[in-house]
Amino acid sequence: MNELTASDPRAHANAPGQRNTAEHPRQQYLSFMLHGRCYALDGLSVREIIQYGRPTKVPMVSPCIHGVINLRGAVVPVIDLGLRFALAKTQVDRRTCIIIVEVSDTEAAQTLGILVDAVSEVLEVVPDEMNPPPAFGNPIPSAFIQAMLHQRNDFIIVLNIENALAVAEIAGQPGGNNALTA
Amino acid sequence: MDMDEVLKTFIAESQELLLQMEDALLQLEHTPGDADTINAIFRAAHTIKGSAGLFGLDLIVAFTHIAESVLDRVRSNELQFNAELTALFLQVGDHLARLIALVDAGADLNTLEVEVQATHETLSEQLSYYLAPATAAKPVASQPTRIERGNASGLSADHWHLSLRFGPDTLRNGMDPLGLFRYLNTFGRIVSIVPLLDRLPSAAEMDPETCYLGFEIAFASDADKATIDGTFEFVREDSLIRILPPHSKSDEYLELIRTLPEEDMRLGEILMRCGTLTAAELQEVLLAQVEGQQRDEAQPIGQVLMEQSLVQAPVIAAALQKQQQIKDNRSNENSLIRVDANKLDKLIDLVGELIIAGAGARMTAKNCGHSEMLEATELLSRLVEEVRDSALPLRMVQIGATFNRFQRVVRDVSKEIGKDISLSISGGETELDKSVVERMGDPLTHLVRNAMDHGIESLQTRQANGKPAQGNVCLNACHDGGNIIIEVTDDGGGLDPQRILAKARERGLVSDSQTLTEQEIFNLIFEPGFSTADQVSNLSGRGVGMDVVKRNISALRGTIELSSTLGQGTRVRIRLPLTLAIIDGFLVNVGQAGYVIPLEQVEECIELHSDSAITRGHLELHGQMLPVVRLRELFDDDSTPPRRESVVVVQQGGLRAGLVVDQLVGEFQTVIKPLGKVFAACRVLGGFTILGDGSVALILDIPRLLTQLAAPRSAVPFETKQSYAHE
Repeated sequence: MNELTASDPRAHANAPGQRNTAEHPRQQYLSFMLHGRCYALDGLSVREIIQYGRPTKVPMVSPCIHGVINLRGAVVPVIDLGLRFALAKTQVDRRTCIIIVEVSDTEAAQTLGILVDAVSEVLEVVPDEMNPPPAFGNPIPSAFIQAMLHQRNDFIIVLNIENALAVAEIAGQPGGNNALTA
Repeated sequence: MDMDEVLKTFIAESQELLLQMEDALLQLEHTPGDADTINAIFRAAHTIKGSAGLFGLDLIVAFTHIAESVLDRVRSNELQFNAELTALFLQVGDHLARLIALVDAGADLNTLEVEVQATHETLSEQLSYYLAPATAAKPVASQPTRIERGNASGLSADHWHLSLRFGPDTLRNGMDPLGLFRYLNTFGRIVSIVPLLDRLPSAAEMDPETCYLGFEIAFASDADKATIDGTFEFVREDSLIRILPPHSKSDEYLELIRTLPEEDMRLGEILMRCGTLTAAELQEVLLAQVEGQQRDEAQPIGQVLMEQSLVQAPVIAAALQKQQQIKDNRSNENSLIRVDANKLDKLIDLVGELIIAGAGARMTAKNCGHSEMLEATELLSRLVEEVRDSALPLRMVQIGATFNRFQRVVRDVSKEIGKDISLSISGGETELDKSVVERMGDPLTHLVRNAMDHGIESLQTRQANGKPAQGNVCLNACHDGGNIIIEVTDDGGGLDPQRILAKARERGLVSDSQTLTEQEIFNLIFEPGFSTADQVSNLSGRGVGMDVVKRNISALRGTIELSSTLGQGTRVRIRLPLTLAIIDGFLVNVGQAGYVIPLEQVEECIELHSDSAITRGHLELHGQMLPVVRLRELFDDDSTPPRRESVVVVQQGGLRAGLVVDQLVGEFQTVIKPLGKVFAACRVLGGFTILGDGSVALILDIPRLLTQLAAPRSAVPFETKQSYAHE
């Protein structure tokens, strides 16, 4: 596990030309659906995918924190990416999943869950398929995009998970009832 | 064995010893000349020297050796501990701590920084000064002349006989046989001494640091056995020490001869040379030995000693008592085990898991309604509770040790700033989590220094105001509900609210139109970039400090408040959670979520009869007004409330409030899971916990909740002010 987290997944995407294709011919990305669009995540940051179970709502925090779940004795916050991307609240149905990811923060790795409409598949990606994100016209804030993956005549947004789930930012967004401080 | 591990142990041990030494030194200021305390200092220095030798830290060995020699002179009453010497030794301790810190950092002690090197040389020189008269008396050559050699007087064995076989590591451990003999001479006279050089190897093989020597000594003294025995306290462990009282029976000499490693016959001769035995006596002893062998091959040593005890009862009793004491001390020391804090954390985590699993099993059993199963789980949970209760205190330490460190701070700082200030300590036995204690050191240092520097007035001012010349700073700790309270109090000039307000306005922390209560004004002290000191001193008053203190305390989930009476003094009160991993909680439900309120803060639970209380915002309880708040509204829960709601009355630090909840579930052993960074900004939660059914419940942080509820609505939120000051 240490080995996995130690290697920087972005190095592959940022410098596709220098990569030894014989050694790492393909890299795996997990694709999922969110608000009718297809997104992908670097497979190295994904720890597991679990079924949606009733999370506990946490009051007076950023609205994009959907709640907390019990992951084998550890309390893991679940982030609603729909709200984080300023799209809309993610509606829960029977296909809703929680992807457990590990985000390396400044000090320690943080385990977070992200709420997605459905998990699609694991994509095998060669570096040539990775394109830089367009400067404008993106459906979500461009800081959250790492690259655009061109596969099967479609563009899939590869998320920059460190930015999309920046812990300090999520923690800093105040929410809830302001009656206490008003 | 891993050398790094051992080195770490050495560093930790040395740091501990240095702290002990410092404590002892400070104690000596009150009880000068107390032998036990002096011995404690000596032991500390000695152990550090010994251990440092193991790691080849020659610089430390050499330095401690000088210090130890000075201490040795104190022990033998050639020197007295006075203020000057104490001060010097405090510096010696500091310097050693620094050297050890350097070792810890992996620095090479042979190339010291200029400053450290200078300190090292100055201190060594100052120490040597105390040794100077001794070095004149010390020369090795002069030593034998003081000992009467050979077959001098006292043939009839009216003196003690000491058989010493020093262990090979004696010198390396920092003990010098010569020093021991010198010490013997302080309460008796060495009648004769015969060195045993049998173990000396050839010059080529000889290791100059190894002790090969053995001695047979005839020693005339009126001292009791315990005293003589005490001389060898530090070498006993790896050396063979036999002490025979005067007029011992021949059996005893026989026993001695038997137990010593050398050949019996030769030993007899040596004893004779020593003047302990006459030729006739030796003959008798050896004869007895032959007879003894024929009669009973192995006469138990214990029995021989028993026989002796009849004759030498008082001596042996004293010796036994002394030995018992030493043994007791040893066993006390041994009963402490150094454990890696991580292992403890792991254990406490596991206990937490155990409690959750236990609660789950109990709930399942309840649902099944199987009575035997229920009984079994009841027993199990009782045991688990006991495990919890004994596991939790493992991490708890008394705050006294941390408090005592401030004796030194106060002593040094009061000298530095030229004020006469004493420190009084109370509540040192209050226990709190080790990690909290460790992180309290810096904030407390700052507060104490602040109190001394700004709080306590100058002597002239004190006298003019009719106060005692000596200022006092007081450290106090106590429990209050689920919290620990630590107070730093001074009897100084106190704070002038108007001056603080003026300063705050000048710095733009408060606008001119704002009116603040006295408490709010005092709290401005904790704002970044605030300082009331007109003069900037070396210690504090640079405007950095109190905000850092506040941040440190907040990081521990504690609160800090200040109260002050102008002219009489200031009190800073820190309230800290115990930060136990597990607490007794009270579980309630609001909507879909479970909330845990620490049981200590629950006063009572009542049924909510009328809805009007909620609209009014308070209800009447026992003839008093009780503010109530509906958690469902506070937490934006939009589910429909049940027909019957309940009120949990919580109290903390004089604040009381009623929390309206949907349902009371009951007491619940709560394993605290930390909030994590994502929820760092959350102002009402203390953590999470996992219920028996696997769902997550939220732990309410009642003190923070109450403070926020009680905060006057007109006040500017703290966050706003802080961000302003950052700009």
